[in-house]
Amino acid sequence: MKVSLQWLGDHVDFSEYSIQRLDELLTFAGIEVEGIESLPDHLVVAQILSSEKHPDAEKLSVCQVDDGTGKPRQIVCGAKNYQVGDKVPLALPGCVLDGGGGKAFTIQEGKLRGVDSLGMMCSAKELGLAADADGLLILSPELKAGTPMSEIYPAVFELEITPNRPDCLSHLGVARELAALAKKPLKGRLHFGESTTPVRPAGADEVLLESEACPYYTARIIRGVKVTDSPVWLRQKLESIGLRPINNLVDITNYVLMETGQPLHVFDLAKLEGGIVVRQAAAGETFLALDGKEYELAPEDLVIADAQRAVAIGGVMGGEDSGVVETTVDVLLEAAYFNPQGVRRTGRRLGLHSDSSYRFERGVDPLQVAGVSEFATKLILELAGGTADPELLVAGCAGEGPKPVELDNDYCRRIIGAEIPDTTIDGILASLGLEKAGLFWKIPSYRLDLARPIDLVEEVARVHGLEGIPAATKATFSPASKADEAYDYLRFLQDRLASLGFHEARNLKLISDAQLEDDFATSHRGMSPVRLKNPLNDEQDYLRPGIVPGLLASASRNVRFGNSNLRLFEAGRVFVASMKGEEIEHEHLALLMTGARGLRSWTDSKPTALDVHDLRAVLEAICPDGLNLVPASDGRLLSACAVEIGTGKKAMKIGMAGIVPPSRARELDLGAPVLVAELNLKKLMAAAKSEIRHADLPKFPGSSRDVAMLVPGDLPAGDLAAFFEGYEEPLLISAELFDVFTDPSGAKLASDKKSLAFSLLYRDPEKTLESAEVETAHGKLLDSLKRTFNVEFR
Amino acid sequence: MLDQLATIQTEALAALAAITDETSLEEARIAFLGKKGSLTAAAAGMRDVPVDQKKEVGQKLNEVREAITSALEVAAADLIAKKDAAAFASIDPTLPARPLPEGGLHPLTLVLDEAVRVLRRMGFALAEGPEIETEWHCFDALNTPADHPARNESDTFYFENGKLLRTHTSSVQIRTMEKEVPPVRIIAPGSAFRRDEIDATHLSAFHQLEGLYVDQRVTLSDLKGTLEYFFREIFGSKTEFRFRPHFFPFTEPSFEVDIKLHAAGRAAKWIEIAGCGMVDPAVFSEVGRKRGDAAYDPDRVTGFAFGMGLDRLAMIMYGIPDLRLLIENDVRFLQQFRG
Repeated sequence: MKVSLQWLGDHVDFSEYSIQRLDELLTFAGIEVEGIESLPDHLVVAQILSSEKHPDAEKLSVCQVDDGTGKPRQIVCGAKNYQVGDKVPLALPGCVLDGGGGKAFTIQEGKLRGVDSLGMMCSAKELGLAADADGLLILSPELKAGTPMSEIYPAVFELEITPNRPDCLSHLGVARELAALAKKPLKGRLHFGESTTPVRPAGADEVLLESEACPYYTARIIRGVKVTDSPVWLRQKLESIGLRPINNLVDITNYVLMETGQPLHVFDLAKLEGGIVVRQAAAGETFLALDGKEYELAPEDLVIADAQRAVAIGGVMGGEDSGVVETTVDVLLEAAYFNPQGVRRTGRRLGLHSDSSYRFERGVDPLQVAGVSEFATKLILELAGGTADPELLVAGCAGEGPKPVELDNDYCRRIIGAEIPDTTIDGILASLGLEKAGLFWKIPSYRLDLARPIDLVEEVARVHGLEGIPAATKATFSPASKADEAYDYLRFLQDRLASLGFHEARNLKLISDAQLEDDFATSHRGMSPVRLKNPLNDEQDYLRPGIVPGLLASASRNVRFGNSNLRLFEAGRVFVASMKGEEIEHEHLALLMTGARGLRSWTDSKPTALDVHDLRAVLEAICPDGLNLVPASDGRLLSACAVEIGTGKKAMKIGMAGIVPPSRARELDLGAPVLVAELNLKKLMAAAKSEIRHADLPKFPGSSRDVAMLVPGDLPAGDLAAFFEGYEEPLLISAELFDVFTDPSGAKLASDKKSLAFSLLYRDPEKTLESAEVETAHGKLLDSLKRTFNVEFR
Repeated sequence: MLDQLATIQTEALAALAAITDETSLEEARIAFLGKKGSLTAAAAGMRDVPVDQKKEVGQKLNEVREAITSALEVAAADLIAKKDAAAFASIDPTLPARPLPEGGLHPLTLVLDEAVRVLRRMGFALAEGPEIETEWHCFDALNTPADHPARNESDTFYFENGKLLRTHTSSVQIRTMEKEVPPVRIIAPGSAFRRDEIDATHLSAFHQLEGLYVDQRVTLSDLKGTLEYFFREIFGSKTEFRFRPHFFPFTEPSFEVDIKLHAAGRAAKWIEIAGCGMVDPAVFSEVGRKRGDAAYDPDRVTGFAFGMGLDRLAMIMYGIPDLRLLIENDVRFLQQFRG
């Protein structure tokens, strides 16, 4: 909402306040100042006394101007649109103007092509008064030279009023608030709750209220008006806050709205057939509004109608063919109260919003309706002539106004936590127009937001400010929650992955239908993805069931920007729906690796591509002991494996890992193998949660034996590892695979075989092993190996 | 004999002084101290030395042996030192490092973690709640009017079954109070969603950090102290900030917190950084109604709540100009936060 400083001055004298101080006053009232339009200092009205051609520049003129000091001032000027004698804005040296793009520049005395120029004459654009302008801004000839421009174009504040304060949606409302905070008197009335016009209940043929959405409606008939342009003062007021003057009657309703916050409407009485009916619209009823558009109405919309048709959408907008035009003679002035919900619903449904609907939606003061009608009538009679009916026609009831609120000052102090004296509390509330009556406070009719004790506490806290309240630093102890444990565990994983060369990614959790196909690394049996009812677009209509789709999109984007060696991880929520339609949220951790194993450098000029074994290394680094990759059939990955922790009955599946199908990788511009894994964080944390116990270090040396064997090419190394793991020989401590050799050419060994070499460590915890004991144990093991796998030793 | 020993010593020391490598060192050792070495041979001649001279010659023999042995050791050490020096001389320390893997955390994680560390020192525990929420948890219980614009389908993502994507982490306040009895002192970081088209300053999903403290006699003064301490820890002890009265449906009184931002080359300006206030009694009443007990009787407990946007915090702390950078995951961007 735009509020003109000059207009506020009608109500409160703020002449000694700087704009900055007013900005602060508003801000600490809880009214956000979104912008201030104001002209700078050192900018005055000047009259052009003479103009001659510049001796050295074709396009420039040398002017002598009167800046109000009585001494002519020389200005070099490039504009052509003026005549000698015109009055124009003049920026004197020291004046700071906006040079566009937020950059300020200061006017200085200088020379233009060798001729002294002691200031700058300005266009409307240069002063920020118009987006575009040709030549100098020519001012009204009545203005006196030397008058500061800021007096002609006063500051205008763009204010954001919070929804709980509809009483501030007017100049009077803002002035009332500021006067209370600045402890200044209001010049005129505090509100329009009083009216001296006699009221007459309207007959059913005059005003008929058919809907609860309008509990109170008044009409004032004024005959014999003359529709014409408004006087200068009124036009200037409206223009100062960005409203376009139309004619005196419309301008008065707009002015009164901005002055009091009460919307009004004027009908051309000649265009109304019969009395006013306030009713719900009929289904399919159409309405041509003032904005020239036709709206199709629905039964939940409220209309003001005559005997024939709707002439206004209640509280939102009048009709095109019932409004005031030049030929209008008799008018009906409508002042009413419409329920906020109805106006809001209609406005939203039709996408139709107006200054009126904005105020009705937030709530106007019903008790002010009659008083504002009287105020507007008086203005109409003054500015448009005519005669008003002696009585105000009234239908319905304006209600009783807000109920008194009880406030225990101890309660107030208890909430605020400061020893604010009774006198301060009472003083603040009284300054806001509340009246104390015993333990209760009488609430002014315009303060619709004050209904509970806490509402009064808010007023005290707001006006008192937090500045003067002590800052307490007491705390209670809190035990760690499940969320704390999960957070700490994730932080551990994040740090570990970062040290393993992974960058943490964060993708939007909303993905497209097509991206669902990229959810390779999760298996949600019997679950379905969760779809939004009202997505923004079809790129973001599903909630991700897994993280890998987002990581693939990130990888693809990176590769297109030339970052082809990628290690990314992401942790966060994923979403699926059960067969019953119940949404389930899980925390997942996903990894993506593609490109070279290391960075190309002088130590490794041709780094090799990452493969599944790198992925396994990372998984082992972040998973607790007992990690198993079990070939899985339910993944659409190549080399898909279920990631399990533990073996046998204790095995817990925590996720999936593998290679993205190359065809999909190519579609995403990803060339090298793309390795991905996705793990369930909660399961991973559960598996990791084992107690760590110290084990004694071996006291005696061990003895190792290497064994190389030829096995079928398709025998998984894991089968041999499992054999050693399960082999019952108390002296065998470990078996490490240290060599894998194949020869596709068949020269050194058959092409369908491979050679695996293990290093076996034997140790006796109680004594140093004799060589013979090792040989015996090792021999038995080799026999068993041969029997089990039919291996050939090399 | 004494002369002979003196000659051997002179010869040996001269030979050792001329040593250049391990081979010549070993040859010298053999030539003097070896089985057939000259000193060994001289020692064998001891038996021919007259008895009255044996003591003197014996002493001389030992002196010579020690002198040669120690010269040998010096020469050997000298050789090793030369070799070491040669080895070091071949190192070019100006060569670039052998690369180690370089990863890092997302800037939002860094900002969140800093905030969490500070708030944990202040006794807050973490809490969480679902991102797919009921309208009751997201709006009704938070005292939001039935026709509040935030509930519009144009502003909030809904599902066919009437649930929605939470529009703020404030729903975790309700989730926590449903389960726990006071005192409750929690922070809840998490995602929230609004139906905004994505541009430099809007994302359809963003990150918030919610705080809630409910106990007997929690006051506005506690809220002020908590947030002042928090922001001074985050932005430095000289940070200027202000509490500006504001309105939220679920707190009363409500404030917004601004900090004064001093960006290079620009006039300092106030930047909104958090919303906060005292929990509205209507919120406690609604929670109490759902719980069916008096644990949150507004006559017995009071509380404060605050919420801040982590994306905005990251933009301010790191000077990030465009929110989209936070979701594009360009490694050239992510690398900047390795710290």
